[in-house]
Amino acid sequence: MAVGTRGLNTNWRLWAVVAAMALGGVIDVLRLAQLQILDHQQYATEARQTHISQEIVSDRRGALLDRNGYPLAASEDAFNVMVERRAWAQPDEAATAASKISAVTHVSTPEILSLVAGTDVFEVPVASGLDYEQATAVRKLGLPGVRLLESSRRVYPEGNLAAQLLGFVGHDGAGLSGLEADLEPTLGGAKGTLTFERDGLGNQIAVGSRNETPSQPGANVVLTIDRLIQRLAEKELQKAITAHKASGGTVIVVQPKTGQILAMASNPMADLTKPDLSDESKLALFRNRAITDPYEPGSVFKLVTASAALDLGLVSPDTWWYDEGVVNLSGWSIHNWDFSANGSQTVQQILSKSLNTGAAWLSSLCGPDRFYDYVHRFGFGSPTGIGLSGEAAGQVRTPQNDPDNWRAVDMATNSFGQGISVTPLQMAMAVAAIANDGLAMKPQIVKEIAGPGGTQAIPPEPARQVMSADASRTLRQMMGVVVNGINKSFLDVQGYKVGGKTGTANIATGTGVYKPDAYIASFVGIAPLDDPQLAILVKIDEPKDVPWGTVVAAPVFGHIVEASLPYLKVPPTEPVLVSNLP
Amino acid sequence: MATAHKSETGAVSGILRSPSLPVVLIAAAVVIGLAALLPLVKSSGATSIAGTVHLLELQKADAQARVRELEVAVARLGSLDRIEQEAKKRFQMGPPKEVHYLRVEAPAPQEHRLPSRFLPPQPHHTETGSSLWEDLFGWVPLP
Repeated sequence: MAVGTRGLNTNWRLWAVVAAMALGGVIDVLRLAQLQILDHQQYATEARQTHISQEIVSDRRGALLDRNGYPLAASEDAFNVMVERRAWAQPDEAATAASKISAVTHVSTPEILSLVAGTDVFEVPVASGLDYEQATAVRKLGLPGVRLLESSRRVYPEGNLAAQLLGFVGHDGAGLSGLEADLEPTLGGAKGTLTFERDGLGNQIAVGSRNETPSQPGANVVLTIDRLIQRLAEKELQKAITAHKASGGTVIVVQPKTGQILAMASNPMADLTKPDLSDESKLALFRNRAITDPYEPGSVFKLVTASAALDLGLVSPDTWWYDEGVVNLSGWSIHNWDFSANGSQTVQQILSKSLNTGAAWLSSLCGPDRFYDYVHRFGFGSPTGIGLSGEAAGQVRTPQNDPDNWRAVDMATNSFGQGISVTPLQMAMAVAAIANDGLAMKPQIVKEIAGPGGTQAIPPEPARQVMSADASRTLRQMMGVVVNGINKSFLDVQGYKVGGKTGTANIATGTGVYKPDAYIASFVGIAPLDDPQLAILVKIDEPKDVPWGTVVAAPVFGHIVEASLPYLKVPPTEPVLVSNLP
Repeated sequence: MATAHKSETGAVSGILRSPSLPVVLIAAAVVIGLAALLPLVKSSGATSIAGTVHLLELQKADAQARVRELEVAVARLGSLDRIEQEAKKRFQMGPPKEVHYLRVEAPAPQEHRLPSRFLPPQPHHTETGSSLWEDLFGWVPLP
């Protein structure tokens, strides 16, 4: 009996042990099932994150070059110092490593330590934008948990030259404004990915798995801008603004035969090297005013009115007209800028003396349909299609598009450039059309695209024949006479005959009235007169001392022409200045 | 029979006692050991080569970075601001007060060409001359 009881006890204990082991086994199996099946994805992801690293690989961003191949914006390699948080777990070792990095990068040791301590992610950048020498020095330190991540930095060898036109890139290297944004697909290339196994220090394992989708470098874009003429335009513009205490201005230099823009300068200038995205006022400086800001052009628009009348055969330069000093239309009186009544005047004198009443008479000869037809033919009222974002169309009110509000007096004021808004680029291209025997070219800012697949040249593109070549030549000679009437102290181009037209315009506030005592002084001109190689617009906003385009804007034109034409190897036209070599 | 049996037993024991058995065993062990080492050697060699390739890739990236940095340095040296400053400081040059034009009976200099570093690589032109075999066959008086 005792034996039987002991046997039962033994069996019970045995079964208890077996049951416990079985239970343990079941628990193990369930736990394994949880780890391997239910939570498989989570743990697999964690393991992958620990051992596998994926990086977006960008190739070199294309450069923006001037028409002669000089870089205006280019990229150089920059390096970020990445620190793996877990490798710096020991405070004393971390402090030593941080001080070594600090000596190279000039980021303070406490700042580096706080960056590493204050993060939850695997690794953190503690210094960025290192150049090649600094990166090499960091690499030579051989610190645990420290690696270099290659990135790119945009540099501007010519400083802030053509800042608004070029625009700037963000921290990710993508273009945010100007040509950098507009040409992003071309300049940026294609991004790739690099997936690799890494060791405990975060470095790539040489024989580990590695998968790479290669990136493609961006193409270099050759602009039509000439850096020397651009710099000249910016300097002369700045000088005029400073001299006349103006609020800003624009200069555009165009090759009439091709429509290529040689310079497009706007002031106030923007700082490309340190664009402050947090400050709205500084960000606004990056607006390319040459294409985004319409203005009332004033008397320079009389060239368009004269073009229409000449091309239609309604007048010639010697056609007489009687100036009574006032034109009454729709209950409004139009006077000349100096309230003069000049009596018998020729069409040439209308331009030379810039008579508002004469321009109103010329437009009335054309009639609204034909007058606005020419306005549109010159490209006003629609974007030029230069390919830059934010280009304004300007505003041209006609009997067709605004029948309720348009009056006859509107055409009269439009004829001398008031009540109509245009962009500086539109005005410059209109003058370029006059210079190019009446053939308007599409404005061109990109000359060539040199990518990995080859070089693609962008040919000049004619837009339309605005007026006949004969009428164009006649108008050019009239522009020459206009310049001859300008005081030599304001405009005297040595060696070359030039033509042009001054303008002094009121500034519309947008509420139907003009800004008091504020004007835009402008000058449009061509050079040389007989075979124009340059068409130039100079626009100075709100000069404080004198408002006249003759005094404020014409000298800028003269200085640009005098320096640009010899540079472009255009021989001087006035033989008195030329001597033959013995 | 007895002799024959004895002789067979003697042969087996002869083989067993032969000094060549340990040699065979050792040789076999060496072969097996070498065979086992072979993948290790291969793996080690691959690791070494991969490490060298990785190192060379790093050196190549470094060299590229250095080249790009130098390109930018060259561009900065050629900037108009720097040229103007150097002209003023080193050569005491300034804007001309008077301009004289000379007519030169010679063709104008060629237009600037784009610096080659900013152009895509030119397609590689391979020599299409005759090969050695073609030269040899050329000597054969074929009709």
